[in-house]
Amino acid sequence: MPLIIKDEYPETLFRKDGKRLDGRDVNELRPIKMEVGVIKNADGSAYLEWGNNKIFAAVYGPREVHPHHLAKPDRGILRVFYRMATYSVFDRKRPAPGRREKEISMIISDCIEPLLFLELYPGTSFEIFIEVMDADGGTRCASTTVAALALADAGIPMKSLVSSIAVGKIDGKIVVDLSGIEDKAGNADLPIAITWYNEELSLLQFDGDMNLDELNDFLDIAKNALKDIHQIQLDALKSKYVKLQEETNKSKGKNEKKGDE
Amino acid sequence: MMDVKRIISKIERDYIVSNLKKEERIDNRDLWEYRKFQVKSDTIASAEGSADVSLGDTRIITGLKYDVGVPFPDLPDEGVCTVMAELLPLASPLFERGPPDEQSIELARVVDRGIRHADCVQTKKLCIKEKEAVYILFVDMYVINYGGNLIDAGGVSALSTLISAHIPEGIWNEEKHETEWTGKYLTGKSLVKELPLILTYGKIEDIVFLDPNLPEELVCDGKISISVTEDKITSIQKSGAATFTIDEIKMLGSKSLEIGKKLRKELNPLQYISKIE
Repeated sequence: MPLIIKDEYPETLFRKDGKRLDGRDVNELRPIKMEVGVIKNADGSAYLEWGNNKIFAAVYGPREVHPHHLAKPDRGILRVFYRMATYSVFDRKRPAPGRREKEISMIISDCIEPLLFLELYPGTSFEIFIEVMDADGGTRCASTTVAALALADAGIPMKSLVSSIAVGKIDGKIVVDLSGIEDKAGNADLPIAITWYNEELSLLQFDGDMNLDELNDFLDIAKNALKDIHQIQLDALKSKYVKLQEETNKSKGKNEKKGDE
Repeated sequence: MMDVKRIISKIERDYIVSNLKKEERIDNRDLWEYRKFQVKSDTIASAEGSADVSLGDTRIITGLKYDVGVPFPDLPDEGVCTVMAELLPLASPLFERGPPDEQSIELARVVDRGIRHADCVQTKKLCIKEKEAVYILFVDMYVINYGGNLIDAGGVSALSTLISAHIPEGIWNEEKHETEWTGKYLTGKSLVKELPLILTYGKIEDIVFLDPNLPEELVCDGKISISVTEDKITSIQKSGAATFTIDEIKMLGSKSLEIGKKLRKELNPLQYISKIE
């Protein structure tokens, strides 16, 4: 049974002062926070807060393939499992994975596979588990971004990172980083991802309507925004090692003091 | 700390057991000491209440959703509160994908019973109209990292989630025969009364200890979970292939009330009541 309080669409997606409903400019991203190494048991992991999206990703691998018949004798396989928590959306989601989750898992897997050297790991699997704990538009892009980060944290050789974002059209204007309500009530939505080693598109979907000029604009705007996201990813990876360095320096300092005594 | 694996070597097991015999733990705790609890409440914007609870390396994020439905015929003026748990494959190499297995069902059921029999959730407050409409609460627990003793962490996380609840308040419209929303919220203040806590003990040979961590849980013969309110024991679950003496159970009963009292004071769960009115 659906909930009785409706999440109604607003008449306009821009405020009187020309800003978007959440106070952003057309080319402004929501606040983004990334952290790696958040799940101790995993080989690699990452956590991302992107506006109200809260997403965990964990990587296990290379490890034995289960079920065994999926193993390939000449290369490793990559499997991605994108899931949403029941409470991550307005109406409680059913606990079992649905068609949407399976499709997005495949899209993300196809997006990330070009980055890996799977031919070096015959007979093994890499598994990426993505859990969306809180969702507010653009979860497939955010999930792709955080999955790449978890892979890098696991120390798995990669050609580069991949970054992803959704650009779209709301009330006829082109904007970056659609929020949940903009995604639902807007005119167009284009999730896109760039693999940085060749600067090519590895994830691309589109729903809505656009003319040729708009397509060009969408792609240019997306690429600019993705550069910012790539930088945040790099910073998150580096900050783990900065912390490690500080901790080792501290304990070294202690040991030296002990030595003096 | 030891790595996570399915099988712990005999040497590691012997090391854990010989330490326990000296009343020492591999993480330097004494036998009746908890690892550190960390609780953050209302972290999920889409949920009507949530908690992010860590107990040592174990981490569980729980959220609350609601629905309005028809009450059970034998309880026409009471709402329903259900607990679900998922052991995400992201949380440990020991967890597999697929439908809930025994371990996750046991976690959900033990936490559910701890709450259900403790006069915790005021189900009569969850009634909008007798025989017609009641709230159905879903408390869904997701294990983010498995570091042993999911049940105690799950209990605190479910309790904190219920206390942090902010559910739209509905009243019954007799003419339209449907629920209407007042614009106000039902919060943990009116929904929650008793504060049950679940305490889990591991047993290896003849040694019993509180809050098994992951290596201890993997080598222990069995466990027992005792759920307590301020002055009552409200549910017990023995699991694993161990047997407990009657004297041990008597001792654990009084220990649980004593440790539970201390822990309840430390955690002070009522601080998580939602400020939304």
